[in-house]
This record gives sequence, structure tokens and C-alpha cells, in this order.
Amino acid sequence: MKKIRTPYLIVMFLILYLPILYLVFYSFNAGTTMKGFAGFSFKHYGELWQDTRLIDIVFETGIVALLSSLLATIIGTLGALAIFRVHRGAVKGALLSLNNVLLVSPDVIIGAAFLILFTTFKFSLGFVTVLLAHVAFSIPIVVLMVLPRLQEMNPDLVLAAQDLGARPTQVLGQVTIPAITPGIVAGFFMALTYSLDDFAVTFFVTGNGFSTLAVEIYSRARQGVSLEINALSALIFLFSLVIAVAYYFINRLNQRQKAPELREKVK
Amino acid sequence: MVEKMPILEFSKVALSFGDTEVLKEIDLVLESGKFYTLLGPSGSGKSTILKLISGQLQADAGKIFFEGQVINDVPAEKRRVNTVFQNYSLFPNMNVFDNVAFGPRLKKMSEKDIQDKVKEMLGLVKLSGFERREISELSGGQQQRVAIARALANDPEVLLLDEPLSALDYKLRKELQQELRNIQKRLGITFVFVTHDQEEALAMSDWIFVMHDGLIQQNGTPEDIYDEPINHFVADFIGETNIVPGIMKHDYLVHFVGKDFENVDAGMRPNERVEVVLRPEDLDLTDPANGKLVVTIQDQLFRGDYYEITAVDDDMNTWQVQATNPATVGARVGLTFDPEDIHIMRYNESEAAFDARLESYEDEEAEAALQAAKDDQSQSGGQG
Amino acid sequence: MALSFKKQKQGFTSAYMGIYGLWLLAFVVLPLLLLLVESLQDQNHHFTLANYQAFFTSGSYLAMTFNSIWYAFLITVITLVFAYPTAYFLTTLKNKQFWLLLVILPTWINLLLKTYAFIGLLGQGGLVNSTLTAVGLHPMQLLFTDWSFLLVAAYVELPFMILPIFNALSDIDPLLTAASRDLGANSWQTLKKVIWPLSMPGVKAGIQAVFIPSLSLFMITRLIGGNRVITLGTAIEEHFLVTQNWAFGSTIGVILIVAMVITMLLTQDKQKGGRS
Repeated sequence: MKKIRTPYLIVMFLILYLPILYLVFYSFNAGTTMKGFAGFSFKHYGELWQDTRLIDIVFETGIVALLSSLLATIIGTLGALAIFRVHRGAVKGALLSLNNVLLVSPDVIIGAAFLILFTTFKFSLGFVTVLLAHVAFSIPIVVLMVLPRLQEMNPDLVLAAQDLGARPTQVLGQVTIPAITPGIVAGFFMALTYSLDDFAVTFFVTGNGFSTLAVEIYSRARQGVSLEINALSALIFLFSLVIAVAYYFINRLNQRQKAPELREKVK
Repeated sequence: MVEKMPILEFSKVALSFGDTEVLKEIDLVLESGKFYTLLGPSGSGKSTILKLISGQLQADAGKIFFEGQVINDVPAEKRRVNTVFQNYSLFPNMNVFDNVAFGPRLKKMSEKDIQDKVKEMLGLVKLSGFERREISELSGGQQQRVAIARALANDPEVLLLDEPLSALDYKLRKELQQELRNIQKRLGITFVFVTHDQEEALAMSDWIFVMHDGLIQQNGTPEDIYDEPINHFVADFIGETNIVPGIMKHDYLVHFVGKDFENVDAGMRPNERVEVVLRPEDLDLTDPANGKLVVTIQDQLFRGDYYEITAVDDDMNTWQVQATNPATVGARVGLTFDPEDIHIMRYNESEAAFDARLESYEDEEAEAALQAAKDDQSQSGGQG
Repeated sequence: MALSFKKQKQGFTSAYMGIYGLWLLAFVVLPLLLLLVESLQDQNHHFTLANYQAFFTSGSYLAMTFNSIWYAFLITVITLVFAYPTAYFLTTLKNKQFWLLLVILPTWINLLLKTYAFIGLLGQGGLVNSTLTAVGLHPMQLLFTDWSFLLVAAYVELPFMILPIFNALSDIDPLLTAASRDLGANSWQTLKKVIWPLSMPGVKAGIQAVFIPSLSLFMITRLIGGNRVITLGTAIEEHFLVTQNWAFGSTIGVILIVAMVITMLLTQDKQKGGRS
């Protein structure tokens, strides 16, 4: 199986990255379409720089993502704590099932249901409704990321802290939260990913005045897109790549620092 | 002896989880400054007692006193007891210093006092210089030391230890047993130690409570409990033992395995059915002609400082013998023992009745001994 | 006197439950109820079952239901077939976390951007067709076909299938593989009898993570599938945002939810049955 491993993985990674590299490649096209390369040029980056509407939308998309992830992380963590402390199995099961409803519902249905909700209560569609929708559909994934950490946590840690005289707030702040931090961080990043990746729900609950990047590209794509979108894609890709590589190396550095101590322990 | 006020007292304390009676009307009294051990198999209720003392559990019935005051309704955080948990339960997000300083910081001690306290505590558990280490870098034994230091840093009157050594290997366990005992002596506070390891209990304790089925089966000094187990459970649980059924014909004469034997127990009804206990280390091998019992060697294991020999008598009772010299498997040999090696247990005798009986005939014996000594003296006087 | 630890903690727990419960009510229970109510109304907001009647008597909607599930099924199968070996091979690599990161990275590029890339790749004069021409074949109509929809949907969902399978495979104790080999199983038998069964939780999570979103990929059907209404997801979008017939859109939504709940209950029962 070793023989087919490398070629298989090379092909899979090519497939995964082909569309993205294709976009990046044509962002340097002197021509105006993705058909035929007419020479190297940065002119689409210039166009992007001039397109203040698009730049605003990129920032607004980021703000919605950060803000909604933050709120969803807080509410989701509280939810996980609440569910964790429910002792009756039936109630716990019911809460978890309700929690998972949005995770297993197709986006179009969530979008449609939220649209009905917001219009029933006379919300004007725009930034607020998009933010509320993103918070709402991100909460369940945060709960699912945090809850296992609480379950894995040694329950005696809480008893030990209480035994040493800590109040509930001190136990929460000094023992519980640090123990579940990896889950909270993972939940935050999942929420961020959900928010940045979302198109369908936003498409339903956004009004005329507000748009996220996905919705904007959708409406532009139907009219035929200019290559400034390619330039934007290239920049987003570069940005993601930098974050990913930085994350990877910070992680490795942390592990390296631990390594000599481990060796000492072996002695 | 001066009557000290007990530091902790249980009066008819009971607790059930659903239909399971975890504790059935427990009475116990703990004096200040001693090392107590709750010994029993898992599910015997020993950890439940710890949790009632620390306040993690509430009793269904009965009263718990701390220095004479009822503390049933005092919340856990207000009790002057601290716990060393079985799995250490050190906070993984804090280093050694911060773990030990956890309690003092909550008490808002000054940073200088906290420094001193942590230093003192780490010195006590022989971990000076480990302040900046992360918990993940410590071995199991070191982690347990930190857990002990952390609990002691809160200046408890009573330290509760819930099977703290059970996860450690044999050698380390021995070492820490010694140290725990030394720490307790140095601080002079009360330790309540929970274990299922009888060897550990015998080695460390001033006083042992043997627990089974939610009841205290027997309590006493390690020597009392080893030498004079009250019933089959205690005899079997404490150390290797041979237990055979017998009949107490009259005082100082017991009948078992088809023969009569002189012994030193008394106070039973004539011809009462009893259980006879003989410890393996009290049995000696000899040739069949000189043996009080004749047995066939079945099996033998080398245990380092002795041979563990399994033999059967003609009634198919199994006998465990500890011998310094090896035997031959299949050989017929004799077993000898002294009258004082025989310990008699009555069926269903309560601890109080047991103690009373022991006292009555021991007094008798003492008087008899006194009388014998006098006789002896007068005789020798006559001669001289 | 301050409240006891227990009482105070109970107070906090109630507060957490209050906040979380409010979300459950406002954004889970209420929207679904409103969706149901909406589906049971006619144009004048009177109660009616007409929408459901219309759905179940219409040949085209029944066909579309079948189509949606069929496409979602195909997308799931295609991604599973490609994802499983990928995940498996990735777990055998030295710096597997690094390579996993490279699998996750494309998911950070918005779905619409990737879809847009395929318009270029598959279009006339795009990379695929120019390659075909270069090797002497005739260019083909690739865009706006069912195949292009399947291809793009499977591409978009691929990482979401690889991830849970990778995690499940990573959790398997390597000693189990060693034990299997030690007992005489070759690598194929080990894969079939040990690794595959143990990775089932990941496979199931992957199927769930791909199948459900595949029902709502209306933007891909619009941009790549040629603007035809071929799945229920597209139909819901059409009724809500184009023809403004919310009642009928809600009806389709409710039917889709009921169908999914039934599917999940059935698969759950199977799991339990299999274990006992």
C-alpha cells in the first residue's frame, strides 16, 4: 500500500488546490477573463484597491464572523456548563437533541425559518439579523466542542478547589475554564469557520443594505465577474496560508520546548 | 490518662443511595493528633466516611461532631479539614508553586506569607526547589507529594487521604508510607487515611477501623486487629490466614480437625461452635510423628524471605504455611503450633461483646498469673 | 452570611441554563414552530392542508424529492470513496498534523469563490476544455450539467468527509494494528477487520457532515447546474426568495425535516440493535 500512497496523496492535494491555484493564476492575467492568459499584470489588484464597496464588504464579513463567534462561544460555553450539570439523563438527552437540531438541519431550512422569525417580529433585515443568525447557528457547535472537555475533566479538581476554600466563581475561573480552554478555543474557531463559510443562511436573512462576501460574489457571479474577485481570492488564500503556517510552527515550537523537560523526566 | 475531647465523632450516622445502604448507623470517635486508617474492600463505605467528614456528602441520619459541635449542616468549605485525592487532582494549568499556593491565596494571605508557606510545605514533602515545575513534568510520586503539600498548606485540623498511594509502584509506596507517618508525627494533626491495602494499614496506623458492608467490623490498634480478629471477614481480610470450623468444648480446650487442642481462649458456652484461626507464620513443619496435624504438601512458592507452602490435611482442609526452609511437594509432614497461636472466633459476636469477653478472661488470667507468681515466690522462698 | 458553595453554584447554573434556554427557545423551537405554522396557511393566513396535498399529488415535487436525496447520496458516496484512502494515508505520514492543516485550508476559502473557480475551469475555453483540445479531443459542454453539479458539490464537501475520518483513524491505538499483524493478518485484512470497523464513528460523522449540507447547495445548482430547479434546497430558495410563496416553501422545509428525523431515528435503532 506504501507504493500507491504518495501518488494518491499528490493527486488528491492537486485536486484540492487546483481551483484555488487556478483563481490565483488568473488574478495576474492582463486580460479580463479566465479564458486564456494574456500576459502578467497586477491591474486586477489595482481594481480591487479601487473597489471600496468590496473592501467594505470584506471587513464587514470579518466583523460579523468575529463578533458572532465571540457571542456564540460565550453562550455555547454557558450552555455546555448548564447541560453538563443536569443530572437527569432524560432532560440531558432532550437538551442535547434540541442543541443538535440546527447542526443537522440543511442551511436553506435554517435560513427560511430565521427569515420567517425575523419578519414575524418585524426585524428589519440587515447587519443585526445576519449577526443574530450567525450567533444562533454557531452556538450548537461550541456546545459540542466544550461539553466533552467538561466530561473528560477530573471531577475531583472541582472538589479539590472547593476543599481548599474556593468559591464557585473562583472554581470556574481558576479551575474549570482553564481545563476546558482547548474546547472553548476549538469552539471559537469552528464558529469562525461556520460564519466565514456560510452563504445560504446569510442569503435568506440579509436585506438590501448589508452583504457578506459570499452573498456579494453570488450576485456578481450571476452577471459575470471581473478578475478583481480572483485578486481578492488570492489575497484571502495568502492570508489563510500565513495563519495556517504560523499556527503550525507555533505549535511545533511549543512541543520543542517541552521536549528537553521530557528527556529530563526519563532520566 | 487524661480524657481529651475527641476531634471528630460519628453518632449513628447512616447514608443510603437509593436502595443501597452505604453506611448503616456508624459510631466512631477520633482523637486529635493520631493516625487513623479506614481499611476495607471497595464498596465497604470507607470513602463515604471521608466524604461525610469533608462535607462532600450529607448524612441521612445521625450526627457528626467536630470538636464537640454538630457539623452536619456546615458547608464543606467551612470545615477545617482538607483532602488528598486518590488521583492527585492537581490543577494542570498551574505549576507546583501555584498549586500549593492555591488555598493560601484564596485566604488572601500576603505574598510574603504565601512564599514562606509554600516553601515550608514543599520542604515538608521533600520537594524544595520544584516550585517552578509544571505538573505534567512530575512523576506520580512527586505529584502525590505536591497534593499532600497543597492540602496541608491550608492548615487543616484533620487531613483526609483517600487511597493516596494506590496508583504508585511498590517501592515508592513504601517510601511514601514512611514519609506520611513522619509528616503526621511532625505536624501532630489528625490523619484519616483510607486504603484497601491491609499491609499499608498495619504499617502506618495508630488505630484501624476495618469496614465491610457499610459497618465497622472491628477497630483497634494494628496489633489487636492482627492478633485478635473478631470474625471471619476481619481474619480473612487482614493477612494470610487459615480458618477452620471447630467446637469450644470448654474454656481453654478446642476441638478441630478431629482432635482436641489446648488453647488460651475462654468465655464461650460449653460445646459452642466456633471458627479457629491459625496464622501461616505461626505454623512450623516437622516430621509426621511430632506433628499436631499431619498434612500433605501440595504446592510451594518462593517469596524471597520465606516459602509459601500449601498443604491439605486428611479432612481436605487447606493449610497455608510460611516456612524458612523449602519442603518437598507430595511429602507428608507434621504441623506444630503453640496453644497461644490458636485464636477462636464466635459466630456473630458483636465488637462490644468481644471486648468484654476478652477483658473478663484476661483479668482472670492476670489474676491466675499473679497467683502463680506468688506461689512461685513462696516456693522459692521456702527453698531459700 | 455568604451563600453556601452549593447554593451559589446552583444559582449560577440556573442563570447559565436561562441564557442558553432562551437561545434554544428563540432560535430553535420558535423558528421551527413558525415554519410549521407558515406551511399550514393559505394566502389569506387561514388554516389549510392544501400545501401538503399539493406537494404529495405533484409528480414533479415527488421526483424532485427523490432527486435531492439521490444527489445527496451520490455526493456522499463520491466523497467517502475519495476521502477514506486520503484520511488513511494521511494518518501514516510523519508530519500528519501539517498535512491535515493543508486539507483544512481550502475550507477557509469561501464556498462561493471555489464555485466561481469552477465556472472558469469547466467553461468554454477553460482549463479542462483547452486541455481536451490540446490532446486532440473535441471540447465538451461541461458547465450546466448534472455531472458538473456533482463534481463541484463533491469537491466542496471533500474536506468535511476527510476530517472526521482522519480523527477517528488517529484515535485508533497503533498497537491494535501491530496486534493484528502479529496474529497473522496482512495489511488488507487488518484494514478490513480492524481499522475500518474502528473508524466507523468517523465515517458516520463524515456522512452526516456531507449528506445534510448537500441538500442545500442551491447556489451550486444555480451557478454550475444551470439555474435549473433540481433539488428541494433550490425549490425552497425559489419559493422564498423568487416567487415569494413562503407557505409552500415552508411545506417543503417541514417535509425535509420530518424525512431527516425519520432517517435518523431509523439509523439510531439500527445501531442499538447491532450492539445488543
